[in-house]
Amino acid sequence: MDNIIELKNVTYEYTEEDKVYAAVKNISLDIKRGSFTVILGHNGSGKSTLAKLLNGLNKPTFGDVMVDGINTKSEEDELKVKSLVGMVFQNPDNQLIASIVEEDVAFGPENLGLEPSLIRQRVDEALKAVDMYDFKRSTPHRLSGGQKQRIAIAGIIAMEPACLVLDEPTAMLDPKGRAEIIETLIRLKEQKGITIVLITHYMEEAENADRVIVMNDGEIIADDKPKEIFKCVKKLKEVGLDVPQTTELLYELKEKGFKVNTNVISVELTAKEIAKALNLEEK
Amino acid sequence: MSILEVRGLTHSYSGNTPFVNDAVSNVSFSIEKGEIIGIIGHTGSGKSTLVQHLNGLLKPTEGTVLLENEDIWKSPKEIRKIRSKVGLVFQYPEYQLFEETVYADIAFGPKNMGLEGEELENRIEEICKIVGVKPEYLEKSPFDLSGGEKRRVAIAGVLAMRPEVIVFDEPTAGLDPRGREDVMQIIKDYRKAYDATVIIISHSMEDMAQTVDKILVMNKGKIEMFGSVNEVFSKGEKLLEIGLNVPVVTKVFSKLKSMGIPVNPDVFTVEAAIKELERLREGDKNA
Amino acid sequence: MLRDITFGQYYQAKSPIHSADPRIKMILMIIFIVFIFLSSNMFALLFSFVSVALVIAVSKVPIKLYLKNMKAILPILIFTAIINLFYGDGSTVLVEFWKLSITTEGVFKAIFMATRIMLLIFISSVLTYTTTPNDLTDAIESLLSPLRFLGLKNAVHTLAMMMTIALRFIPTLIEEAEKIMNAQKARGADLESGGIIERVKALIPILIPLLISSVRRAYELAEAMECRCYNGGEGKTRMKQMKLKMLDLYLSVITVLMLLGVILINIIL
Repeated sequence: MDNIIELKNVTYEYTEEDKVYAAVKNISLDIKRGSFTVILGHNGSGKSTLAKLLNGLNKPTFGDVMVDGINTKSEEDELKVKSLVGMVFQNPDNQLIASIVEEDVAFGPENLGLEPSLIRQRVDEALKAVDMYDFKRSTPHRLSGGQKQRIAIAGIIAMEPACLVLDEPTAMLDPKGRAEIIETLIRLKEQKGITIVLITHYMEEAENADRVIVMNDGEIIADDKPKEIFKCVKKLKEVGLDVPQTTELLYELKEKGFKVNTNVISVELTAKEIAKALNLEEK
Repeated sequence: MSILEVRGLTHSYSGNTPFVNDAVSNVSFSIEKGEIIGIIGHTGSGKSTLVQHLNGLLKPTEGTVLLENEDIWKSPKEIRKIRSKVGLVFQYPEYQLFEETVYADIAFGPKNMGLEGEELENRIEEICKIVGVKPEYLEKSPFDLSGGEKRRVAIAGVLAMRPEVIVFDEPTAGLDPRGREDVMQIIKDYRKAYDATVIIISHSMEDMAQTVDKILVMNKGKIEMFGSVNEVFSKGEKLLEIGLNVPVVTKVFSKLKSMGIPVNPDVFTVEAAIKELERLREGDKNA
Repeated sequence: MLRDITFGQYYQAKSPIHSADPRIKMILMIIFIVFIFLSSNMFALLFSFVSVALVIAVSKVPIKLYLKNMKAILPILIFTAIINLFYGDGSTVLVEFWKLSITTEGVFKAIFMATRIMLLIFISSVLTYTTTPNDLTDAIESLLSPLRFLGLKNAVHTLAMMMTIALRFIPTLIEEAEKIMNAQKARGADLESGGIIERVKALIPILIPLLISSVRRAYELAEAMECRCYNGGEGKTRMKQMKLKMLDLYLSVITVLMLLGVILINIIL
C-alpha cells in the first residue's frame, strides 16, 4: 500500500456549553509512505485536532481514518494504530515519564511487550538517531528544551512507528532548539524512511517538506509543494500565518515592480532572486 | 538622566544546584528614561537572572542597581515599592492568573500597592483601554478566555501598577502572528501613554530590529555588546560566533554584498531593505 | 530556597553499591536500620557507626551531599537530643535548674539518640544517592509482587507508576512553583510578612496557578502515555531485567555479618 494514512470525509465535532462546533470539516487526505508533510495553520485552525485524528486519539464524528488499512475506530486495534503512528506534542516536559533518559525512551517498547534485549537495542538506536546517546543516563530536567524534545522523539521512534506526527514541537523552543528538531526530522526521514507529519505555524519549517497543507477554520485551503504554497503570500497572511522575512521582502519587492519570484525561502536563493532582478533592469 | 543604572552586578547561585547555572558577573550599564532596550542572548546567558535584579526579585551578590540614582536595596523592607516602579512580565504570564474574575486578577497588583475604591477602578479602566480588554470581559473568569486573551489580561495585571520601567521576558512566546502583533502594539501604546522605559527580552532579531532603540547582548553572564540596533547588528559575525543571529534581511544583504552587488549591508528591516533596493534601482537608471 | 532541595536525588558514580541490585539494596538497608536500632550500648553503636561510614566510603558519593541531607533534619536532631538530655533518669546530676536536671546518663542518651538518627539518615541517603528513582520504584514493585497472588496486581503496578511520575515531576513542579512565586512577587505580593493567617492567604495566588498547571500537565501526560501504548501495565515488559549477581551475594553476606557483629557486641559487652 502506498498511503500510510487515509482520511475519508472526516468531520470532528465537539460540544461546548451545549453548542456543537466542528473543529475539522469534511476533510479527505492521503499521506504517502515515506513523505514529509507540513500542516500549517494559526492557533485554532483545527490543525491540532487533525493531528490527534491521525493516531486515533480523536475519533472522527463522521467519516473514517485508515492507518495502514486499519480503521482507527476499531477498538481491538487501538494499540496497533498508536504504535504505527507515533505522536510528539508541544511541551516536552509533559511527555517524559521517567527520570532517566534511557528509561523514558524504553517506556513505549516496554508497553509493547518486547523482549528486554530488543528494547535495549531499540533504545540505543533511537537515542543515536536523535543524537542524544551520550545523555542516556542523564535526568531530563537538566536538559535544554530542544534536547528534551529530542528525547520525546526518541521515545516514539523506539516503538518503530511507520509515521511520526508532531504537533507544534518547536513552539516552546529557542531558535537553537528549533533548528535541532528540524534537522532531526529531516535525518529521520532520509535515513530511516519514517513518514513525517509536522504541524506548525512557522512557515520556514515547511521549506524542506515534500508537501504543505494549509488549514483554516477546520478546512484545507491549500495543498501543494512548498514552492507553490509560498507564492501565495497574501493568502497566507490573510489566514494569520507567519511569513518568513525573506518571503515578505520578495513579496514587497514584487509589489514595487521588481521582477522577482516569491517562491523561495532560503537566504541564498532570495539573494539570487534579487540579484537577478537588479541585473535584468540594468540591461 | 539615566532612570536605571546597574553597577558591577554579580550574581552567583550558591552551591552546586542541579539546575542550569544562569549566573551574571560584573555587569554595568545604564538606561535613559523613555528608551526601549532589547536584550538578546541564548538560554543560560544570564539574561533572566539579570532582569530579576532590576525589580529586586534577586539580590545582587555584589554590585548595585540604581533606580533614579537610588540603590533599590537601600532599605530592604521597602523592596516591594520598587516592584511597582519596575514591572516585570514573565514568560507565559497567563500561568500566573488565579482570581475568579478578570477584574479581580488585574486588581491584584494595584491592591498590593494599596490602591482602593475609585482610584483602583479608574486605574483598571484605563489599563483595559490600553491593553484592549473589553469591559464585558471584566466579570468573566480568566480561565474561560482564549490563549491570546489570557496573555492580555496577565500583561494588564502588571501594567495596572503603572510601572515607570517595564521589563518583558519573551512577551510573544507561543503566540501566533496576530497575537504577537497585538502584544507588540500593547507595549508601544503603554510606553506612549505613560512615557515609560521598556526592556524586552526576545529571541526574534526581526522584532528587535523593528521595535527597540538599543540592544544589549548577553553572553556567558557578561555584556558582549550594548549599543544602537545599527551598531549591534552590523557586527553580525560576532553575534553568530556566540550562537546568536541577525535579522534574516540582514543576511540577505550580506549575501548580496558578497555577490559583488554594491548594497549597503547595514539593513535590518524589510522597509529599509526595500528603500535600499529602490535606491539602487534608481541609481542604475540614472547611470 | 526551593531549588536547594536535593533529598532523594541520584548521584552518578561507579561503585559496587551503585551496581548492586536495587531490591537487595532495599532489603539490606532494612537490615541496617534493624541493627542500628538493635545497638543498645555504646560499643554496638560505635560498630554501627563504623559500618555505615564504611558503606558511605564505598559508595563514592561526596560526603558533602550526605551532610547536606543531615542539615535538613538538623532541627529534629537537636530537638530529640534536647528531649533526651532531660530524660536521662540517672543519678549523676551535672546541672540542675527549676524542675529539670541534666545527668551524665542524659548526656549519653542524647548523644546516643542523635547518633542513631544520624545513622538512619545516612544509610537511607546511601540508598537514594546510589539508586535511580526508577530503580527504586522497580524494586518496590518487585518486592511487593507477592501481593499479586492476593489479587492486588493492578494496585502494585499503579503504585509503582504513581511513584515514577511523582519522582519525574517533583523537580518540574518545584521550578514552576518558583516561577509563579516570582511572578506574583513582581505584582507586589507579600509572602514574607504578616501573621499565620495572612501568610496562608498569601499562598492562594501561588497554589491556584500551580494546581491549574498540574491538572493541565496531568492531562497532557495522560495523552502522551496513551500515544506510547500505555495500557495500564497489561503485558508490559522491562528493558532492565533485575538479576542477582555475585556482587549482591557478597554485599548481603557482609551486611549479615555486620548484623551478627552488632548482636554479639550487644550480648558480650
